[in-house]
Amino acid sequence: MIKNNIKVVLSKLGLDVHSRGVFIVAKILRDAGMEVIYLGNSMPQQIIKAAIQEDADIIGVSSLGGGHIALGADLIDEAKKENIKDSKGFVIGGAISPEEIIELQNLGFDKIFTSGASNEEIISSFKKIYESKSK
Amino acid sequence: MVENKKNVKEILEEIKEKKVKKPLYNPEAIEELQKNFDNWKDNTVKEADKQNWEITPQTVLGSEIPRELTYSPLNLKDSEYTREIGFPGEEPFTRGLHPNMYRGKKFTIRQINGFGGPEDTNERFKFMLKNGATGLSVIFDIPTVQMYDSDDPIAKGQVGTSGVAIDSANDMDLLFKDIPLEDVTISIVTHYPSNTAILFPMFLAMAEKRGISWDKLRGTVQNDITLEEVVRSGPEYIPPRDCFRIQCDNIEFIKKEVPNWNFINLNGYNLHDFGTSGVTEMAVAISNGIETLDELISRGYDVDFIAPRLAFFWSISNDFFEEVSRIRAARRLWYKIMKYRFKAKNPRSLWMRCHVQTSGITLTRQEPYNNIIRASYQALSAILGGVQSLHVDSYDEAYAVPTEEAALLSLRTQQIIQNETAVTEVVDPLGGSYYVESLTNEIEGRILSEIDEIENIGGYVKSIEKGWIHRKIANYFNKEHAKIEKGDIKVVGQNCFTTDNKTPPIDVFKYPKGVEDRQKEKIKKLKESRNNTKVEKALKALQDACEKKENIVPYSVECARLGCTEGEIFKVFKKSFGLWRPPVIF
Repeated sequence: MIKNNIKVVLSKLGLDVHSRGVFIVAKILRDAGMEVIYLGNSMPQQIIKAAIQEDADIIGVSSLGGGHIALGADLIDEAKKENIKDSKGFVIGGAISPEEIIELQNLGFDKIFTSGASNEEIISSFKKIYESKSK
Repeated sequence: MVENKKNVKEILEEIKEKKVKKPLYNPEAIEELQKNFDNWKDNTVKEADKQNWEITPQTVLGSEIPRELTYSPLNLKDSEYTREIGFPGEEPFTRGLHPNMYRGKKFTIRQINGFGGPEDTNERFKFMLKNGATGLSVIFDIPTVQMYDSDDPIAKGQVGTSGVAIDSANDMDLLFKDIPLEDVTISIVTHYPSNTAILFPMFLAMAEKRGISWDKLRGTVQNDITLEEVVRSGPEYIPPRDCFRIQCDNIEFIKKEVPNWNFINLNGYNLHDFGTSGVTEMAVAISNGIETLDELISRGYDVDFIAPRLAFFWSISNDFFEEVSRIRAARRLWYKIMKYRFKAKNPRSLWMRCHVQTSGITLTRQEPYNNIIRASYQALSAILGGVQSLHVDSYDEAYAVPTEEAALLSLRTQQIIQNETAVTEVVDPLGGSYYVESLTNEIEGRILSEIDEIENIGGYVKSIEKGWIHRKIANYFNKEHAKIEKGDIKVVGQNCFTTDNKTPPIDVFKYPKGVEDRQKEKIKKLKESRNNTKVEKALKALQDACEKKENIVPYSVECARLGCTEGEIFKVFKKSFGLWRPPVIF
């Protein structure tokens, strides 16, 4: 049985202006029984700090503006610095090109979403990541 | 002073009562038609179709307006030709603003551009003009839109993404290098009132330096509170009331000092694409227009001094006939509001001029070439609605900003419609269609009802402060998402007719390298070379104007002339107005 109260911290990465996607994902996860904390627009350091304070299981960031590679790398670096890279899940979603998907995977993101992902895909990914991290 | 405290709906209903009825069809003919229709429905229409006489189309960004199986004069029996339809170029402007429409002036092909540094976007501008674009439109990068300098730590990794990086008037000069400002109309997509009050002064300072007098400049700024306080996600917001004041300060200043410039583009586009029906899109933009005019009238200006330069910006989505009808409906409704609520006399005050863009949210990542088809249909519906200018989205925009090839294809889409299809030869070709006229009536009524709802809240700014609009958006996009998820709204290649191979064979745009460093270097040099004492004084004068309720824009122009950066000016706004937290609803 999967624990249902997975705790997720979501945010807009950097200054990106588009929030429709992250709001929809927040609702999908909440409706699936997860606890969702939305930080709004935040820089990597703030996100990691909040994730530690909240003891979140998964950190999700949204970026449709093009800053995801530089800030995504910073997020993972910061997580490594704080020693939470392996214990927590890292998810990113947004307008991301196929090449960048590979780049973000190599950086260490557990899952990369682009537009058109189904609810089922989103929920099961989050659960799977949670399971793999709590082993 | 605002004389009229009555709601728009009330005013328009009173007008309707007073008018003598001259129905489009004579009552005897209608009577006979009704009999024939009943007969046809009873005897010819199949039982299943009778049961499903009305269906509500399920489309992305649709307004959920039920449609009958077919339309006839019976749907228009209360219509009066002269009062409701009329001739193009005449009241009530349902059929278009000009008697000859596209035969007289073709719609402007205005594709938006912006990426990297000003030097990069300048190259793209020249490419588009060389290939037949008839206007320019520029979009700014995320830090510029959000009003932070390229060297601010918060801008890291985002400089030159989604638009062009502009930090000072010097960058404006590079952006418009070799562009004849007197000959090309330029849409400066500043989005927010706050960044309009920063970036447009930089544009003016640049023009001044080139010796071009401001009355020679023609173009548009967006300057819309909806973008700053409702649609945007960002780290820092000034309060809605102050934002609205800056919107009106921009209008007041530009109208007086840059008389041929469109000082506001009442923007439904981003609201619609964020997640509202097409009806809400228009109700909100029109409500903002009403409140803005009230404010400028209370500042002592005649409605006919201000109104002729108001312009609108709509998003055109998938429901083809709804989109055509929506543009016609908004044109007629705006005319009625200007004539009966504001008692405008200048014919140009009665015009709902609009730029439109095909809907970005309808573009899919799967099978990206399908987006070319989507955007083409959307563009065609806009043209059949009689718009003034058009941007066609590119097929690769679910991945990144368009490549040069994709941007050219968008331009070509417009040129093909304009030059090969002959749809522009006849004015309002769908006018008189029982269906389109009925839908136009229905949509106008629905927009008016939502304007009434906003007025009952206490106006548009109040509806932002109270979170009414934020709630409305969240409800809409969550419901829409659920419908797409269930397959009720069909998205070809995404939730139906899907293929296994989702990897697109397309080239995706790559941002030029080194923009962030280049911008940082320019800011460093600027700060070393400018007169910093004068800069401090100018920023202080701007702050005083903010706090004293004086028009802030002349002070912002002075800041731009002296080489203040965008971030420095935004800091003044934050210090003067404080910060606001918009509601977060999901």
